[in-house]
Amino acid sequence: MAKVKVATIWLEGCSGCHMSFLDIDEAIIDLANAVEFTRTPITDIKEFPEVDVGIVEGSVGNTEEEETLKELRAHCKILMAWGDCACFGGVCAMRSSLDKEDVLRRGYIETESTHEGKIPGPPGVPALLDQVKPVNHVVKVDCFVPGCPPEPKAILYGLSELLAGRIPVLPSEMMRFD
Amino acid sequence: MKEIILTIDGKQVKGKEGDTVLEVCQTNNIDVPTLCHLKGLTDVGACRMCVVEIEKERRPVPACTYPARDGLVVQTKNEKLEKYRRLVLELMFTERNHLCAQCVASGDCELQSLAYKYQMDNARYPYSWPPLPLDSAHDYLVIDHNRCILCGRCIRTCDQMVGVHTLDFGYRGWKDVVVADLNQPLGKSTCISCGACFQACPTGAIFSKRSAYKGKRPESQEITTVCPICGIGCGIKAFVKNNMLIRIDSPDSSQNNGLLCYMGRFGPLSQEHPRVKTPMVRNSSGKLEPCSMNEALDIVAKKLSQFKAHNGSSSIAGVASGQASSQALKAFKELITGALDSKFLDSLDGDQYRAVIKGISAFQDKADLSTETPLEDIFKSDCILLAGANPFKSHPVAGSYIVRAVRQNKAKLIVFDPTQNVLPDYTTVWLKPKKGKETLALNSLAKSMGGSPVKDAAMIGISQKELTEAAKILGKAKRSIVVYGEGILQQQNAGLITALYKLAAVSGSKTGVISLKSKGNSRSAWDMGIANSSVSVINDLAQNSIKALYLLLADDYTEAKELLALPRGLDFLVVQSSYLPPLVQKADVVLPSPIWTEVGGNYTTLDGVPVSASRLINPPDGVKADWEIISEISGRLK
Repeated sequence: MAKVKVATIWLEGCSGCHMSFLDIDEAIIDLANAVEFTRTPITDIKEFPEVDVGIVEGSVGNTEEEETLKELRAHCKILMAWGDCACFGGVCAMRSSLDKEDVLRRGYIETESTHEGKIPGPPGVPALLDQVKPVNHVVKVDCFVPGCPPEPKAILYGLSELLAGRIPVLPSEMMRFD
Repeated sequence: MKEIILTIDGKQVKGKEGDTVLEVCQTNNIDVPTLCHLKGLTDVGACRMCVVEIEKERRPVPACTYPARDGLVVQTKNEKLEKYRRLVLELMFTERNHLCAQCVASGDCELQSLAYKYQMDNARYPYSWPPLPLDSAHDYLVIDHNRCILCGRCIRTCDQMVGVHTLDFGYRGWKDVVVADLNQPLGKSTCISCGACFQACPTGAIFSKRSAYKGKRPESQEITTVCPICGIGCGIKAFVKNNMLIRIDSPDSSQNNGLLCYMGRFGPLSQEHPRVKTPMVRNSSGKLEPCSMNEALDIVAKKLSQFKAHNGSSSIAGVASGQASSQALKAFKELITGALDSKFLDSLDGDQYRAVIKGISAFQDKADLSTETPLEDIFKSDCILLAGANPFKSHPVAGSYIVRAVRQNKAKLIVFDPTQNVLPDYTTVWLKPKKGKETLALNSLAKSMGGSPVKDAAMIGISQKELTEAAKILGKAKRSIVVYGEGILQQQNAGLITALYKLAAVSGSKTGVISLKSKGNSRSAWDMGIANSSVSVINDLAQNSIKALYLLLADDYTEAKELLALPRGLDFLVVQSSYLPPLVQKADVVLPSPIWTEVGGNYTTLDGVPVSASRLINPPDGVKADWEIISEISGRLK
């Protein structure tokens, strides 16, 4: 049987979800036999091939993240969201109730260790969106694994269900937002 | 109450006429999710989590406000309802800034638990991300509007349970928020800091600074016991993790009607004063220095034996705080009056006791405190006379009892106090006698009940009209209760106590009197005869040639001026205390007391009910129970 092709992206987030994925212990051996990882932050491949499953960690907070997410959506059959940032906005969304300009000024100019700071912007650095969005507010998402980060067993559950041909919905006892 | 039969989820179940559908479900163990509902409060149907389908109703209705009736056919679980409930949760999560990973309540949150239960793994609605403030200037509580779902549980608790009604909704619609008073910071409002709103909050919108990030209730050990601090004897549910008290709640149903106060709920969660952790002895250069418990006990026993042998038993005195446990008081009495054979045993509030007893004996033959009435009789009375007390400060739960009696039972409240009335909204008449004229005022009131006009109204500071109004209320009462507090007790005036008893006797066919005593275990100390001394020991040390004084403060932090004036001619002062009040600096030997949470003990409530407080955490290393220390000294006397 051909391996299931998977691509993962890491948007606005801490990479904790990918760490939690690497934390699935020996299950990763069986998974490697069934799955081919293409573009991921771990393989460091930059191109998007056509894949069966796209996985996204992190929320959408700037124009580049928005574009990357849309590109993944265009190249995958099923899109799965990992973690609170992707599912709800998470820690990154703390800035959403603040004014974007205030956030940039505080971060790049007013920080105590900054001397003569300057707010960067395009083309060098992508522009911030006014508010941070969960991924399903930008593209269609097929399944969600919340948690900050999701427990390895929740991540494994999501992948196993997909491999078994089902769209995973985390059972209540696996649900975590922290 | 008439029994009714309903069909819920296809099963026939019984309910009572007047129940809501939710109440019938709960009595029949049918699980219906709730958020804005809280037992003991009126239901408002605000959150829509408890929606159920009812035959012939066109749309789902909230079970908490729908009256149950005979023959009703109810569906509490199906796909449509699950979908509705999830939708309600998604709306709540997107309305404000619910960021579980950073929230103090995560893992101990009703909103989050329901989101897990209904597998809410994303929210489809646009997030509002409103910029909302946080009020953290209160001593114990923080209101974080970001986490508020506007269920109103805190507001209804503050109003209906506590009776203070500090909290309410402010603004309208989209801008609706919980506010204190007319939108004051909570710390500057009429809040009495009882923390009932914190316990009522289903999310992290109201949290306690003293519990935050210490641990979650589901992960800690739960101990149900009694709080001995003020003497009401409220039931408490304490949560302990790694020998740390993380939170104290009120149990759902107990003698305190679901109430607690700032002392019981927050006091034990952190140490408000520096502790005495080791015994200390004054060295040859006059400085207090730490020593072993064995050394300290030896010195105390040796010194006390010497005083007894050389100066006689009457050169030794013992004074105990009414905050000490009954075991400690008993051991102390045995040491002072037994082993040391001294007649000088007293409590810090002994003068108050002697005035009360003298006052009662002028009124009736049986002059002891068994004549006092249970505090909960407030709920059975149609007339309450509150004399010289600020219950919200000294005994907050009693204050709530009074408000609830006024509101629920339509009891009339007469406040008798020259300076303060903390319950102005609930008071029918506030009698404001001139200071020093209280006895006269009470006697005049009793007289005017007999119909005789009062000539000296101007002299006592109360108008004829007010006196007549109060007399009318008292005269009409079927059952009245007199509650008096420190404003009366501190005067140590037997005549005033007699006047209160006399007034109670003529108001209503069934009457009672209860005093709000100054210390949590005063009643036990008094009943035990600790304050039966014929003299006021602490005030008359010199007149009685007392040379050695043993002061048992236990966990009572006191800066009373008669203690600060010590040593006043003493040759030897032993202080046994949990804390380091300035007085400790004057002691020759300091012995460490545990705090009640570290040992537990027996106590007697202010209305005479024996209660037992459990140990919740371990004391600091080497600190022993007060009674153990005292018994050891007794054993070492020569």
